[in-house]
Amino acid sequence: MAIDNKLDAIAHQIRYEIIKMLVPLESHHIGCSLGIVEILTALYFEVMNIDPKNPEDINRDYFILSKGHAGASLYATLALRGFFDKKLLSQYDTNGGLLPEHASRVVSGVELSTGSLGHGLPVGLGLALSAKRDKRPNKVFVLMSDGELDEGSNWEAFLFASQHKLNNVIAIIDKNGLQGFGKTEEVISVEPIKEKLESFGWAVQEADGHDLQSLKKAMTEAQNSQSDKPNIIIAKTIKGRGIPFFEGKFESHYYSISEEKKAELLSSFNKKS
Amino acid sequence: MRPGIIKAVHNHMKKNKDSYFLTGDLGFSVLEELQKEFPTRVINMGVAEQNMIGVASGLALSGKKVFVYSIVPFVTMRCYEQIRNDICYHNLDVMIIGLGGGLSYGVLSATHFALEDFAIMRPLPHMNIFSPSDEMEAVLGMEALLNRQGPVYVRVGKKSEPTVYEKPFSFTFGKANIYSESKRDNIVIFATGPILSEVVKAIPLLEKQGIMPTVVDVHTVKPIDAKLIERISAGKTLAVSVEEHYRIGGFGSAVAEVLSQVVGSPRLLIIGTDDRFIKELGNHDYLRETFGLSASGLTDQIVKAFKKE
Repeated sequence: MAIDNKLDAIAHQIRYEIIKMLVPLESHHIGCSLGIVEILTALYFEVMNIDPKNPEDINRDYFILSKGHAGASLYATLALRGFFDKKLLSQYDTNGGLLPEHASRVVSGVELSTGSLGHGLPVGLGLALSAKRDKRPNKVFVLMSDGELDEGSNWEAFLFASQHKLNNVIAIIDKNGLQGFGKTEEVISVEPIKEKLESFGWAVQEADGHDLQSLKKAMTEAQNSQSDKPNIIIAKTIKGRGIPFFEGKFESHYYSISEEKKAELLSSFNKKS
Repeated sequence: MRPGIIKAVHNHMKKNKDSYFLTGDLGFSVLEELQKEFPTRVINMGVAEQNMIGVASGLALSGKKVFVYSIVPFVTMRCYEQIRNDICYHNLDVMIIGLGGGLSYGVLSATHFALEDFAIMRPLPHMNIFSPSDEMEAVLGMEALLNRQGPVYVRVGKKSEPTVYEKPFSFTFGKANIYSESKRDNIVIFATGPILSEVVKAIPLLEKQGIMPTVVDVHTVKPIDAKLIERISAGKTLAVSVEEHYRIGGFGSAVAEVLSQVVGSPRLLIIGTDDRFIKELGNHDYLRETFGLSASGLTDQIVKAFKKE
């Protein structure tokens, strides 16, 4: 596996910020936030055309976090990318604070307030359609979870995007195999997801969701694609990535860290960064 | 009133290139011209209302004005959360045009009726609600609304509503219009939507019974004209609200929310439909007759309530 040291260090830093935000507060959604760190790192530090100094630039690339419950991950990424002061992260999930658990447009860089699943892709298609009609270069990235695919609105959107050849859309599925109350495979299996999406007229790629090179390659390929198909990247991820005792665990969706583990975790991350 | 609304949209789209019209696979014999003139900006979204509201929101987020069009239950209830989270939470410039207000779909029956729409649209922050009574008012209202931005729900009838207004009048969105004022009035009737035509027909019937109504056309259900409602209700024996909607949570509830804050306000008779699904089959007029919403039915309900006072 090729390692890009600079990007790797950024991903580590984002993880540390997430743990600093969530662990002391015993907030939920730790696993979901940690699992998408590399995806956000690749997008915000490598792939997307964005400028923190000009966040409303008409030609910018858009990112929508459809799985809004991983808001902490997006906030940490935006702060490190310079969209706002890192100090603001201390206002996460606090009384009278600014940053709610679910991604909110209150801060610079968050394009859409989310929290209910199945909203991001349709809104993203509207942004993409607008760009197409106006002949603007924007790409629209939408990050969804595999559990989120239960929502019918996504399937309406899959149909619409290919009908209208919205090849400026790049959806990413955070495929961690877990959802709110069970394993995706056991609750409502989406497999064979690649074949399903291909049959809906999308150009599908698969990537290792924790390998920055693999993600960059898939994203760049989607960006430069000459096909008129909308793009989707199925990124295989591990929920809770970065906390060994949490990795791949359904419980990491909620808070379940003992007091001893809490202190150990914070200090071990501190040492590494 | 549908032709007047579509014509207003057409004129707007002609002048404003940043406007889009999305339909949920409806529009036969109504939208063809619009579609022909603006083939890239009029989009048939298919029978997929959740996606339609999402796409409308994305377009609006990028600075477009968007009209969405379908039958009321499909364009409000099927996609309610998209309206709440995507349109209203982000305060986007989307006009929801809902066809078939109240019982106007007649024999198409319960699945097509719109008897809950005010109740679900009213609590949404940023949402505005326009409920015109006839073609003239629909056109005047659209002129006013097209100069505004933000979420708005337009509750349209089906087609060929009776004329209430022969001539244009000074229309202000958010300000109710006093349709007729009786100098010796003892009651006030607040009405919204095409049922105003039945209220107008009921005026002479009520007068025969010694009840002198002042009739107020509340075309804007949200924001409701609280000042006028409060002022005009003062000193009346009875206030009445009339709508084609369940009595729960609709326009009458909005009037009640105003009057409940006013010391010494008159009792409010809320006229609407009962708390049950409508199983009776018939056209719009038949259903109005059956549920006491025709001129004579309204008269009976009002006389009965008046006599209690």
